[in-house]
Amino acid sequence: MTVWERLRPYSMVAPAIIVFAMFFIYPIFYMMYLSLFDWNFVSPTKTFVGIQNFVDLLSEPDFRKVLSNTTLYTVLTVTLTTGLSLFMAIWLNRSGFFYGLVQGAIFSPHIISLVSISLLWSWLMDPEYGLLNWVIGLFGFGKLEWLSHPSTSLISLVIVAVWKGLGYNTLVFIAGLQSIPQDIYEAASLDRSRPWTTFTRLILPMLSPTIFFLVIINLIGSFQVFETIAIMTQGGPVNSTNTLVYYIYEAGFRFFKIGYASAAGVILLFIVGILTIVYFRLLSSRVHYR
Amino acid sequence: MAQIELIGICKKYKEETVIQDLNLTIRDGSFTVLVGPSGCGKSTTLRMVAGLERQTAGDILIDGQRVNDTPPGLRDVAMVFQNYALYPTMTVRGNIEFGLKNRGVSRKERERLISDISEIVGLGPYLDKKPQNLSGGQRQRVALARAMVKQPKVFILDEPLSNLDAKLRNQMRTELIQLHERLGTTFVYVTHDQVEAMSMGDEIVVMNEGAVQQADSPMKLYEQPANLFTAQFIGTPAMNIMKVGDIKGLRVQPESGAYHVGFRPEHAQINPDTPVEGLVLEGDILTRESLGAEHIYQIRSKAGAFFVKTFLKPLVTAERVRIAVPHGHLYYFSLNGSRVETSGGANEKTPSRQLIAGGV
Amino acid sequence: MEPANRAFDGHTVAVPGGRMLEAPGRPALLRSAAVLLLKALNVAALLLLVLIFAMPFVWMLSTSLKTLPETMIFPPEWIPRNPVWSNYASAWQTGPFLHYITNSAVISVSILLLQMLTIIPAAYAFARYRFVGSGFLFSLVMVTLMIPTQLIFLPVYLELSAFKLLNTHLGLILPFASSAFGIFLLRQAFRQIPEELVEASRLDQAKEWKIIVRIMVPMVKPVLVTFALFSFIAHWNDYFWPLVMTTNETARTLPIGIAKIREVEGGGTWNILMAGNVILVAPILAAFFLAQKHIIKAFVYNGVK
Repeated sequence: MTVWERLRPYSMVAPAIIVFAMFFIYPIFYMMYLSLFDWNFVSPTKTFVGIQNFVDLLSEPDFRKVLSNTTLYTVLTVTLTTGLSLFMAIWLNRSGFFYGLVQGAIFSPHIISLVSISLLWSWLMDPEYGLLNWVIGLFGFGKLEWLSHPSTSLISLVIVAVWKGLGYNTLVFIAGLQSIPQDIYEAASLDRSRPWTTFTRLILPMLSPTIFFLVIINLIGSFQVFETIAIMTQGGPVNSTNTLVYYIYEAGFRFFKIGYASAAGVILLFIVGILTIVYFRLLSSRVHYR
Repeated sequence: MAQIELIGICKKYKEETVIQDLNLTIRDGSFTVLVGPSGCGKSTTLRMVAGLERQTAGDILIDGQRVNDTPPGLRDVAMVFQNYALYPTMTVRGNIEFGLKNRGVSRKERERLISDISEIVGLGPYLDKKPQNLSGGQRQRVALARAMVKQPKVFILDEPLSNLDAKLRNQMRTELIQLHERLGTTFVYVTHDQVEAMSMGDEIVVMNEGAVQQADSPMKLYEQPANLFTAQFIGTPAMNIMKVGDIKGLRVQPESGAYHVGFRPEHAQINPDTPVEGLVLEGDILTRESLGAEHIYQIRSKAGAFFVKTFLKPLVTAERVRIAVPHGHLYYFSLNGSRVETSGGANEKTPSRQLIAGGV
Repeated sequence: MEPANRAFDGHTVAVPGGRMLEAPGRPALLRSAAVLLLKALNVAALLLLVLIFAMPFVWMLSTSLKTLPETMIFPPEWIPRNPVWSNYASAWQTGPFLHYITNSAVISVSILLLQMLTIIPAAYAFARYRFVGSGFLFSLVMVTLMIPTQLIFLPVYLELSAFKLLNTHLGLILPFASSAFGIFLLRQAFRQIPEELVEASRLDQAKEWKIIVRIMVPMVKPVLVTFALFSFIAHWNDYFWPLVMTTNETARTLPIGIAKIREVEGGGTWNILMAGNVILVAPILAAFFLAQKHIIKAFVYNGVK
């Protein structure tokens, strides 16, 4: 092998690796480093404070509220999205023009900018003139305040997230269903398996890698929700929709508490890291049926 | 045109030795077939000749020149792959032309060569199609054309017919033999199918477990197998092998070291009319396979089960039969499998002139 | 009812407890009526589903063509009698929209081109070469794949500010100059190409770069198209990154401009806001209708592979 042949693979991966190192890997370590300092971004000196930022964070009632908001939002969004889309996938897993149309329609929000979706749903959820209140009025319900009331604001955001994510999740499930060999259903029907048994004993286990993938993707996605909050609620009313990324954003860019924001970032990193590790662990230990 | 010499070739993948000290000369202009069960190292040998894999030790000479360090593109070798390996993103013309372009052949010359070659293999109407739109046989021809157009010293074919259906395979076999006669180039052909090897090659190299078992012409392989492996590999059904010790009365010269005795199913006679000098067995017919012109019987005797093949004879319906094999068609092998010559066999000089062994 | 089921049942009448799947003698008319009813219910449910997903967009379009008082009338008028096209002009005038659109296009296209340049060779090397440290370097890619940009914006902001790249196109482009997802996707595709093809081209005396450019890359074209759609749409729509990395108009993109209409026009002018929203959504939705199959594949691929 010539020298060039030896170096070639490195030169081919180098551009990508440099980009990742500069804008993904290094920042993570830089953030960990910053989380140990007190710094307001403008002042030339950073003061080392050890784990004080973490102590402050965890004793701050607002931050605890933020954590519980994020968790609640995530749990609701993930269970609703995954559960509903599994049901819809089984329902819509058919070919034909009409089903294609329906699949296209439910998928469309996935490619629309979150800005558009946030603005659109702010208008739909307007407490005075929103279409949603008119629709529920048709069924005899009174007006809701949606985003403007602490008791309904978080669930309103969940509704928007589910509306956006449902189509994508459904189509991934449909792809998963279609990758199950057809003869398994035929064998099951020859074995007189009832539909429910076929579903729980065959379809669900064979779909488990897909379910798993979607749950993790939805989890990670929900934990870092930002756009809808920034545009629709700004974390309010009274902190009822303040979540982790928005909290970090405000701490960093409004209050210039860089160290403090970094510490919150490290906590988010920790959560995402655990989820990722769990994902790969389960992925490798899990039985694969394909 | 070139002679290929493999001298002391070894090939190891990490710790595993695939080929151990292989020495082989492939004659100039021959149609040499490497044959053996899968994993015997025949494809690896071929790929080392092509330069797609590098030997761990030893030398490869093409046309008297050492090519150990020559990259595959410069060895003047063309190859037809098992799955054809046609470039799916190029047309048939593009596929044939690619190698010529890389050699810097002029445009005019390329056009001439392509039109010549497509005439020979009958691809004219398909030159502007993509390989995906061709049938299996047509793809095979494109692969051949792509190899031929480079006018190489050596043609290497790695199980090129295994993806074709039986009828097309027979047709392509004939075409390949004719092609070899026309070009006179050295062909090295790999297959696991001994029938294909016997029908195509003028030189057959039987390989097993990384070593050459025997390299000979087809008839010599059949008539003079060098060892137990070759004996059993060539011929359908395979040669019947029994232990000398299991056959009562079969005496061999002890110093010859004969441990196994073998005979080909087609050399055994069922219930012979005239006495036969040689091995005689008695047994029950287990199964009868009739292919019309020939019948194959599976027979169980005391010395073990074996096959008998008859040609153009009525089907034997009896349950119990007597089998005789003349001396001239008995082969003896030592414990380690190599062929041994022995004058022995049955007690030739006994007046009965027959030996009943293994009977009940 | 599957025919297979019935055939099977026919053979097993003798099995104790074997249940006949079809009740004999049940009036066929009644059964077909039930089937019909079920079919009708299914169609109704499907229509409701389409409504839930299409109505918001229709409402957006409808609102964008109303006067402000008309937006407050209930029951709503779905098709405004006198469409107010000037809402679009008003929306357009709230900011330098041509500038925003140019920025969005320049940034999305530059990102896409740079990504192609970096991911193709990297994916090829990871798929086809064995080299010391490839396992470690690939695990680096996988780590990057799992890090959301939302996690690291603060340190990257400080980094870009140190490079004086805030408020520049480059600052919005460079962090995305490569894509871990793209490398992952493409590596799979390269690995599926049979080795024989490379060997055939070696025997054809092709140089390594020629094998890559002429043989390998054309073979993964469908995956490249898939990735290109994915990448372009993601960055055209991106709001978070331009919001965080810009403090003035120089490099701001369309989503920021649209979100800012509210600040300029005030919160209640939904007709203007929705007109702006249509400007942002229309090109993507139009593309979606034209290339629905490809776009869905581009996004769903991720989940299946």
